[in-house]
Amino acid sequence: MPNQAPAPASPPRALRWALAGSVIVMIAAGGLFYYASQLAAAKRQVNHNEIAVIIHAHACEPNALTVPAGRASFRIINRSDRAVEWEILDGVLVVEERENIAPGLSQVINANLLPGDYAITCGLLSNPRGTLQVTPTAESDAQAKAKPSMVAFIGPLSEFRVYLNSQSGALIKAVSALEQAIAAGDLSQAQALYLPAREAYQRLAPAAQRLAELDNAINARADYFEKREQDPAFSGFHRLEYGLFAQHSLDGLAPIAQRLLSDVTALKQQLLAQSLPPEQLVSILVRNLNSLADVRAASGEEERYSHLDLNGFAANLAATRKVVELMRPLLTKSAADLLPGIDSAISAFAGQLDGLQVDGNYRTYDSVTADQRQQIADKAKALAAALDGIDPALGLTGLK
Amino acid sequence: MKKSSLALLLTLSPLAAFAATAPLDLVGPVSDYKIYVTDKIDELVTQTQAFTDAVKKGDLATAKKLYAPTRVHYESVEPIAELFSDLDASIDSRVDDHEKGVKAEDFTGFHRLEYSLFAENSTQGLDALADGLNKDVKDLQTRVAGLTFPPEKVVGGAAALLEEVAATKISGEEDRYSHTDLYDFQGNIDGAKKIVDLFRGQIEQQDKAFLAKVDKNFATVDSILAKYKTADGGFETYDKVKENDRKALVGPVNTLAEDLSTLRGKLGLN
Repeated sequence: MPNQAPAPASPPRALRWALAGSVIVMIAAGGLFYYASQLAAAKRQVNHNEIAVIIHAHACEPNALTVPAGRASFRIINRSDRAVEWEILDGVLVVEERENIAPGLSQVINANLLPGDYAITCGLLSNPRGTLQVTPTAESDAQAKAKPSMVAFIGPLSEFRVYLNSQSGALIKAVSALEQAIAAGDLSQAQALYLPAREAYQRLAPAAQRLAELDNAINARADYFEKREQDPAFSGFHRLEYGLFAQHSLDGLAPIAQRLLSDVTALKQQLLAQSLPPEQLVSILVRNLNSLADVRAASGEEERYSHLDLNGFAANLAATRKVVELMRPLLTKSAADLLPGIDSAISAFAGQLDGLQVDGNYRTYDSVTADQRQQIADKAKALAAALDGIDPALGLTGLK
Repeated sequence: MKKSSLALLLTLSPLAAFAATAPLDLVGPVSDYKIYVTDKIDELVTQTQAFTDAVKKGDLATAKKLYAPTRVHYESVEPIAELFSDLDASIDSRVDDHEKGVKAEDFTGFHRLEYSLFAENSTQGLDALADGLNKDVKDLQTRVAGLTFPPEKVVGGAAALLEEVAATKISGEEDRYSHTDLYDFQGNIDGAKKIVDLFRGQIEQQDKAFLAKVDKNFATVDSILAKYKTADGGFETYDKVKENDRKALVGPVNTLAEDLSTLRGKLGLN
């Protein structure tokens, strides 16, 4: 009877509760197990989707790749005997790259690829180019149709092109002065003029580095050449730097300086001729800052003979600041919550560099401690991460 | 991928005989226009220095000679220069803009100097005005450098310049003391033609016949102005322009102003 004394019913009810409880625990445990296994599967998935590319001394394996459009991960394994680079090129422009992959180690490149045919630079500059075919998917087709209005980007992109025009004009002027000092046989003047020319280059570096071949002629390190410093093909800024600061000699520098002058003149022309897609206005900065954080800050490898690295970092930051100012109205309108983080990351990085000045001049990098170098790397990395939020927030990347 | 989106466009808008101008195709011309404007303003700053130096030195003949070739740089980039209304007033306002006329304290800039130099034949007491003009054009240079050019202002600038010609040049009101209006006239026309030239590829894609008509009217105006060019590369004074030439300018100038006002729409910037 339903309304009998409840007492006798007590034990079975308790039992029922206990049973129910254990069922819940079992379901929860099952759920957790399911979740964990899904997570593991997802992790495996990422690894599973990685495409391994081995850089041998004189070629890559495989050298011809085909991937579907969208996000792709490449694990680049360096089996050659020196630090080299691997780049995805769209015509003459760099889409993604990883520099200074140490011998015996591997690095992952994540790329968000649009359908099309790309070329690959693989290790030494003399190595044969690889190919990368990116095939369209339903998702990439849909994205191509769903692009937001681009009118808002005309202003910032135009201003950036004006910046490239004036800064590359300044670079030509600075390299021309350096070339003249070298031609005149004035070593100390040439040493003094190396710095302003490098600063001018570093203010353009994020954009210049899209122009793979030309940028290599201007900025390649000795490591990228078979016989390093002794290689007859080693040229550009760092060949001049080597002569001026390591050998303290102008021997053989005159033709190198002339070629550099003609290369930076071509750089200006190409920077103005190549249109920059809106999503790359920020991504070129992210790439530049990541290379600073991952490679250049710790080793000081870029200006290894002159140790003028800090000036270069500051000039890289100037380029970042310029773009952030150009994007600020757009960000204020469409992604205002990102701005405080970006601004504070800029201040933190700027503050770190400013702290390494003596009497208004940057210290030479050989006097910067490992701990200070780590600070520089961390702050550049944080700034890159803050900037990396911009493209998705503005609807410029669908896959991030 | 390209094919399918084009097909979609054609299905959705059967009237779209030509694909609309892609906004990013305007980046090159807009930035080239800024480079052009920057060059002109650099020249304006340099020449204003020389002009005001002559004024301050009391060199009336040189000051008079430099007046028109200096301000022509301002006239050619007016669509951008006039975005800064305070500077436009202090650099380029006419006496009519001021309640107290010539003696108004805030009547400054080119036309105030023009009044003293050409109507009074004097350089007396102009130091502060000369310094002020110098400061203003330098201020303009800084502000233009920091300005992200609004694309619709750049494209719309061609019509704005022609409206300026129609309103202030044909009447000869702008340079009423010096009668050097033809310099400004040519400056406005050159500035408008520069904009058309920079966007020529995009305009041609949209409307070839339109472009041919615009080119023809520019050529007509240029050929009439050319009749009054002087040996030193300058222009005769406006009082020398014959009545039939003034009349002959009206038609093409008005048509250009009207035609160029459709440019923004043609390039998808309305």
